[in-house]
Amino acid sequence: MRWTRRRVQTITTWVVVVGWAVFYAVALARADELPAPEAAVMWLVVPPVLWVLAIRLVLRHWWSGTGSHMAVTDLPGRVLAAAVAALPERRREWGRAMTAELAEVQGRSARWRFALSSARAALWLPPAGGWPLLALVTLVVVATTAAGPAVDAAVPGLRVFAVSFTALVGAMVVVAVARSRRLRPRLPAPAPTVLVTGAVAAAIAVTVIFLRREPAAARYLPPAAAVYLAAVLAGCLWIALASPRWLGTSRLAPHLGAAAGVVFAAWFLLIVRADGTQPPPLLVFGLAVVLSLAPVAVFFVPAFAAGWAGRSLRSGLLAAVWTVAASMPLTYAIWLPEALRRHAIDGRTLDGELVAPVGVNLTAALILGLGILPVLGLTLGVIGAALGSAQRPAS
Amino acid sequence: MTRNRRPSAQTTAVVLALAEQPTAWRYGYQLCQRLHLKPGSLYPILVRLADRGLLETTWDNDVPAGRPPRHRYRLTGSGRALATELAATAGARRSDLKERWQGA
Repeated sequence: MRWTRRRVQTITTWVVVVGWAVFYAVALARADELPAPEAAVMWLVVPPVLWVLAIRLVLRHWWSGTGSHMAVTDLPGRVLAAAVAALPERRREWGRAMTAELAEVQGRSARWRFALSSARAALWLPPAGGWPLLALVTLVVVATTAAGPAVDAAVPGLRVFAVSFTALVGAMVVVAVARSRRLRPRLPAPAPTVLVTGAVAAAIAVTVIFLRREPAAARYLPPAAAVYLAAVLAGCLWIALASPRWLGTSRLAPHLGAAAGVVFAAWFLLIVRADGTQPPPLLVFGLAVVLSLAPVAVFFVPAFAAGWAGRSLRSGLLAAVWTVAASMPLTYAIWLPEALRRHAIDGRTLDGELVAPVGVNLTAALILGLGILPVLGLTLGVIGAALGSAQRPAS
Repeated sequence: MTRNRRPSAQTTAVVLALAEQPTAWRYGYQLCQRLHLKPGSLYPILVRLADRGLLETTWDNDVPAGRPPRHRYRLTGSGRALATELAATAGARRSDLKERWQGA
């Protein structure tokens, strides 16, 4: 079967649409309370439309760049290049050596054999780190083992989170040190890094405060949710401290993304605090427009701008990733204290719709702030990056 | 810290192949063909030899247009000493085996 652009687009569209329809139908069937018909239709239609749009734009970008040469593209070379890209810096020379030798290999099957075998070698080359790295691994294991009981004594209910977070961050440090040539890695962008790191610290702090003030809320943080929280926060740290190399090295993108994250957090705080208040009539229309468009613009604009300025999809994607990495912990860090404040007033959840135990807010913050937000935000960012990189300014 | 564990049969074969013409530079693909080794086996061996200072590496920029520079290898002084030692051990083992076979 020939993989034309139209065929790939059609298949991915059907996969996304049918996959989401099935998922949503199952979710509705299992839900305790069904949403309003308008809301149900909106959730059924809008996400897949955005995903299909994002996928089609990326496919178009990719196809116009490299995909049009699919018939003559050297797939073994691409496989090996992908494996070599994962090599740590100090082993990169060996990756280039294998890639260069592949150019000497003749014949389709021989090239595939050489590429696959070399890729295996690239992924399993002897680690370069020695005793310092081994000591670091030992330290991580000890810290992870100690984290559980220590945190459990202070904040019952956070044990799983503490162990997971310590283990994940420790693993990241080990990988970063093993991959880096320097002991002190160069930060991708100091100011955005400090912002995201601070936001992650704030997110952890508010979780501790929340559970200390409301110990019964610990049942709303089951082990799976605790591991998810740890993985998301550790992932944000990873973006801040060691941005993925495959997303490029744009200096503008992290700043745009971090600034957008702050704007989103400010918008969220404004929405929460404005709930129930009546602004002056003249401001109502302006606020309605700004407040409804802000969340879309926050994820779309920085990715579009970075893609446009850097003339590359990767720069736009990097800005989108930074936006999500900044907005998630910031939103979460605002959510829990605001939920405590709101619950103390009238016993309702943060959205004001439900009289429920305060712990319900923890679930809501996880699902909406750290689940749905990044999925939709990244989708909008991908669309912005694809459109921005397509509008290349004249040089 | 260096380990004095005896090299594997494949590592020995690579070292001895490189020692056949100690001053000549060899390419990775050339060694794969010569020794019937897959690159997935050869390159980790070359990496370990280079890490231990037994292998010298350089880039060959004298390649046809459009081709990337090739990485080439030859043994260092320590590598050659190891090759001599391995060759002697292999020779001694062969004669020992022969003697035992004939004495049986």
